[in-house]
Amino acid sequence: MTDRHDDRPLAELEALKAPPRSDMERRRAQKRILAAAEPLLARRGRPSSSFDVLAAWARPGLVAASIVLAVVAAALKLGASGEAVEAVALDDVLASGSGGQVPALLVAGSEPDAEAFFEVALLERNGNGTPPPEETPNGGERQR
Amino acid sequence: MAADIEGANPVNDEPQLVERARSGDREAFGILVSRYADQAFAVAYGFLQHAQDSEDLVQDAFIRALERIDSLGRGSAFGPWFYRLLVNAALNRRKYLARRRTEDVPATARSQDSPAADSDRADLRRRLAGALGSLPGDLETVVILHDLEGFTHPEIAGILGIPEGTCRSHLSRARRMLRETLKEYRHQ
Repeated sequence: MTDRHDDRPLAELEALKAPPRSDMERRRAQKRILAAAEPLLARRGRPSSSFDVLAAWARPGLVAASIVLAVVAAALKLGASGEAVEAVALDDVLASGSGGQVPALLVAGSEPDAEAFFEVALLERNGNGTPPPEETPNGGERQR
Repeated sequence: MAADIEGANPVNDEPQLVERARSGDREAFGILVSRYADQAFAVAYGFLQHAQDSEDLVQDAFIRALERIDSLGRGSAFGPWFYRLLVNAALNRRKYLARRRTEDVPATARSQDSPAADSDRADLRRRLAGALGSLPGDLETVVILHDLEGFTHPEIAGILGIPEGTCRSHLSRARRMLRETLKEYRHQ
């Protein structure tokens, strides 16, 4: 609730008023402001070159490019992780062949096929063991 | 008092002055400085209670205004925009100074009076400044602009971007709070 008492300013506030300044002090203060503003005014007065325009856009351009790169990288990572296959070390694959079988992938005459590689790796991982043993023409397993 | 400095009533040439200052016209910027510097100093002093700090603040505010003058809408009044900038800068500066200084006896505390009278006055000033500074939100700014510097409610409303009615209620509330704070001191 506001009473009429609050409609008047506090008399004590007069003590906080700025001290009067002489004309010379005021002029000196204004000169100081103008001197400090001089470089800015000079820059504003100069017609901007194409380099200035490019320089002005450089920082926001870099920021925008960084954001786009970050978004693209995140999207790629997310997309890749959706169908990611657990990596299988080459040593493991080789070790799997030590039981007498060498994975077909490693003895293939043609260049490695990524699908075949992953298939082998998955088989290993799923506990299906080594790829099916190669059979000799007479039906028995080939012995080393 | 503030009405004659184009705070909320820019004279007709002000939009042109702003346009000229935008393109680096020294004379135009000089006119704006000469119109606003004195009142700006008084406002800054209301917040900082220190002459040199207030001069520095006013200079910084003009430089900042020149840097950001492109953000001032075409045809908009320079005064309210500039004072808003100044007030924000003053509040920030005071926070910074408060961290740096433990105590400051303003230059105006020195006078020809007796040491006891000087001491009393300095004590009152400190209490007042403390009470003002502890007012929440825009209340302090409203008191300084209205009661110290004579800005009108429409001018203050324009500077702070608040409705005029809010400005009036802020002032009334601020005065009431100040009276409460200073009641104890008055009885001494």
